[in-house]
Amino acid sequence: MQLSRREFIKSSIAASTAGVVGLPVSRLAAAAAAELEKDWKWDKAVCRFCGTGCGIQIATHQGRIVATKGDPDAPVNRGLNCIKGYFNGKIMYGKDRLTQPLMRLKDGKFDKKGQFVPVTWEQAFDEMERQFRKTYAAQGPNGVAMFGSGQWTIHEGYAMNKLFKAGFRSNNLDPNARNCMASAVAAFYSVFGTDEPAGNYDDIEYTDTMVLWGANMAEMHPILWSRITDRRLAHANCRVVNLTTFRNMSSDIADLEIVFKPNTDLAIQNYIAREIIARDAVNKPFVEKNCVFATGPYDIGYGMRATDKYAYPAEKDTQAKEVKVKLDKWEAIAQRRKEGDVVEQKNTADPARHWMISFEDFKQGVEPYTLDFVAELAKGDPDESLDIFKNKLRQLADLYIDPKRKVVSFWTMGFNQHQRGTWVNEQCYMNHLLLGKQSMPGNGAFSLTGQPSACGTAREVGTFSHRLPADRLIPNPQHRAETEGYWKIPAKTLNPKVGSFYAKILRDLEDGSVKWAWVQVNNPWHTHPNANHWIRAAREQDNFIIVSEAYPGISAKVADLILPSAMIYEKWGGYGNAERRTQQWRQQVPPPGQARGDLWQTLEFAKRFKLKDFWGAQKVPGLKADGFADNTLPDVMADAQKLGYSPEDSLYKALFATPENLKVKWPDAVAKGHDNHIATLLGDGWFPEKAFWIEYQQFGKGKGKDLADFDVYHADKVRGLKWPVVNGKEVAWRFNEQYDPYVTKGAGIEFYGKLFKAIPTGNLDGVTDPAPKSLAGKAKIFFRPYAAPAEQPDASYNLWLCTGRVLEHWHSGTMTRRVPELHRAVPAAVMWIHPTDAEARGLKRNDLVWIESRRGKVKVRVETGGRNKMVKGTVYVPFFDEGVFINRVTLDTTCPISKESDYKKCAVKVYKA
Amino acid sequence: MNISGISVSTRPEWVESVAQSLSAIKGVEVHAADVRAGKLVVTLEAPTVSAEVEGFKRIRALPHVVAADLVQHYFEEDGEIIHAIPDDLDTLEGVSVPDALKDH
Ligand code: SF4
Repeated sequence: MQLSRREFIKSSIAASTAGVVGLPVSRLAAAAAAELEKDWKWDKAVCRFCGTGCGIQIATHQGRIVATKGDPDAPVNRGLNCIKGYFNGKIMYGKDRLTQPLMRLKDGKFDKKGQFVPVTWEQAFDEMERQFRKTYAAQGPNGVAMFGSGQWTIHEGYAMNKLFKAGFRSNNLDPNARNCMASAVAAFYSVFGTDEPAGNYDDIEYTDTMVLWGANMAEMHPILWSRITDRRLAHANCRVVNLTTFRNMSSDIADLEIVFKPNTDLAIQNYIAREIIARDAVNKPFVEKNCVFATGPYDIGYGMRATDKYAYPAEKDTQAKEVKVKLDKWEAIAQRRKEGDVVEQKNTADPARHWMISFEDFKQGVEPYTLDFVAELAKGDPDESLDIFKNKLRQLADLYIDPKRKVVSFWTMGFNQHQRGTWVNEQCYMNHLLLGKQSMPGNGAFSLTGQPSACGTAREVGTFSHRLPADRLIPNPQHRAETEGYWKIPAKTLNPKVGSFYAKILRDLEDGSVKWAWVQVNNPWHTHPNANHWIRAAREQDNFIIVSEAYPGISAKVADLILPSAMIYEKWGGYGNAERRTQQWRQQVPPPGQARGDLWQTLEFAKRFKLKDFWGAQKVPGLKADGFADNTLPDVMADAQKLGYSPEDSLYKALFATPENLKVKWPDAVAKGHDNHIATLLGDGWFPEKAFWIEYQQFGKGKGKDLADFDVYHADKVRGLKWPVVNGKEVAWRFNEQYDPYVTKGAGIEFYGKLFKAIPTGNLDGVTDPAPKSLAGKAKIFFRPYAAPAEQPDASYNLWLCTGRVLEHWHSGTMTRRVPELHRAVPAAVMWIHPTDAEARGLKRNDLVWIESRRGKVKVRVETGGRNKMVKGTVYVPFFDEGVFINRVTLDTTCPISKESDYKKCAVKVYKA
Repeated sequence: MNISGISVSTRPEWVESVAQSLSAIKGVEVHAADVRAGKLVVTLEAPTVSAEVEGFKRIRALPHVVAADLVQHYFEEDGEIIHAIPDDLDTLEGVSVPDALKDH
């Protein structure tokens, strides 16, 4: 009986699978499928796990999810899911799921040194409020902070952004996307004047050359990888290049694998630019019509603290590079200076400033990047001959330059988590623009994202410390005024001072300038580099940390209060993926126990405060802006009263349950019988997700960021839409007249982004004419030099450590790692090392070793085999391994422009434990 | 009980050999193959999600398999303890606390 049922289910599933793959299905199997599913309710949703944004279908039965499948109608994944797809239906049902608030108590009262004890929501909010008021009274808007997320739904991010910026008048809100996307954003702004890619995933099927820059797509973006391998296998002429610092799975199908040293991607791209010029391959009509050349200062530091006051003694020599850098031979050549010159880092305060230069200047900039120079600098595998490596670089340039080839460049963390992340992003556009291979089907530099809504929530909603929705910036008075208009709040409510970025919030906790911090959908104490500092700051300083979580991760453990959150399909939501596609879903199942959506938590917290708590004058040390008294936010209460507000109005009423929003009623036919636990709990008859969508839509309308109506995304036949959605039509390629209605008729290509489009003029050495000159409609081709990593292997710490996210290691399977006894005996996490490096240290596979940097050490097991083949001199340890907390070891440098951390390189030593 | 439908891609010349190695994996059944397209349709059955993931990884690691993608996943109450998503699956959420942290 059981067997036959199993066989029945199997043939039904095989039938669905064959249908998606395009193989014929037997009638019997099709009938089995229909029978099995007859009581299920299928609904569309989006995968929880990465920025690819695959569509899925979810089957529910009696309040639980029973099956999931890749959505055959989703253009992104066409019915397929990667391995993570298994967990979409399962993640909600873990045994250690948090289902009630937990607070550290001693004798029934909050105590930082107390143990976690279950409390009611009421008690939780009471203490949160008490602590908030204490900090706000003492330190004002600068004293509180929010760690947000690229995994927030769009609606959640929107609401918290508004609560912090309009309500609390604090810009100390920054998402974990800072550590995954910020460099991409900074380059989109500086090059195009607007965020997010021109192209879309269909570029894969239109192109014949795909270049992966430090992006191990086989593991990181498996579904896109399937599309790439399909394209490669079906087209003999198609070429795939994998540039990487060690051999990984993506090399399996690559026609050309280039292993390079950390940071030398900067030099390799300049070599390509130099070749384009040397071979007279610059697409002159394209460049003259659509581009200008630009550069900026080189002496911008490494995004560390300016002082060594908080550095451990061993860290001080690395920290000193923030102040002064002694040029090595390579940097000296690359920057046309002298080896051994000590360069004071004078532009750390304004590293992003830049100016126009001439083509001749640009040419002079890339001139030192000859094949000989770059090959010698960049060759990453000591066992590879220089001639072979040179040959590979030449082939790479050939592929880019070949006029008959279309080229797409892909990258993710390899470029973004980089001490010069913004520069290296800009350089990728540099080559595509020089060749005119940009913003056309199959041609373009394509920045991918890691998190499911890094684009939709973090970037588009602007949940960063310097941003507002739809490409608006905090320091820009017009952008603030527009935002105040849409939000119907008095002029000058918004704080003009950029808040603390992610790393800085952690530093602020360490030095006591922030004393109240809330975390939603992310895990700063696990994921941020140089973690010993931040854990000590959280546990040993006088502060209050709230973590909204579904499972007890490291951040929950270091918190003072844990709030149980509803997970993905337990709430209504929407995500935006890496190709500008916005997708939304309905609540499928109820959250367990006392777990509640983050949006509900935000709204309930807002009920506890009144306008008079914030909209009077506030002290903001360091505030300096036109129209504001120094260090002060003005009292806007009188203006607020003119707008009809009362000082006694709660933030909930003033910002969220506004008269307009209350008109957006729950229940709503769009729900098609699905519940909304947040609307139900609020109980005042409105539909917050839909109301916020309507509010949010205004920001992008007519600004190149148009979104469709809420109900459209929920319509049966829609599988997300790529913004801007103009007259109901999505835009496939931006800046291209054929596809994008924002391009002026007859212009062909027009880079119409508005930010940073009037800049000074100068040469490679600096500004010569400070008067801003307009470059409306054009993109910038930047010259950016090679810069050496802040920390490099030396006599004491003689290996590179690279970290990353996913790694296939089935030797140490998930199962075994769940058995506690085994776990303690042999930590499951491993460090990949070249066999020769292991041997030189007297180590063999499976040995336990310490891996130690200037900042900390952890114990790991040695791995010399596997799919990731290390080059000599580099070791690799994955991030998200519960056995090894590698962020104790990593270095917290950032790209000084984007403030994104560089996890990819620091110096370590390895010895037997 | 967990049963998944998986699409496996390989080069056309390897379809037959990949089909053989797939069938040798416990819980795997090959239901259909298209040599020209280099595609195979398989089901994978395992008692728990973790075992299911293990099986999937095994498929992906087979020689000549260039891609393996999940199409449908069916599961019945299996009493399994999923502490969270396994950490090697690239997520920022739901990791349990490493021993290394406990001395703090
Ligand atoms: S590729 Fe990303 S979005 Fe698609 S199924 Fe895998 S994790 Fe989910």
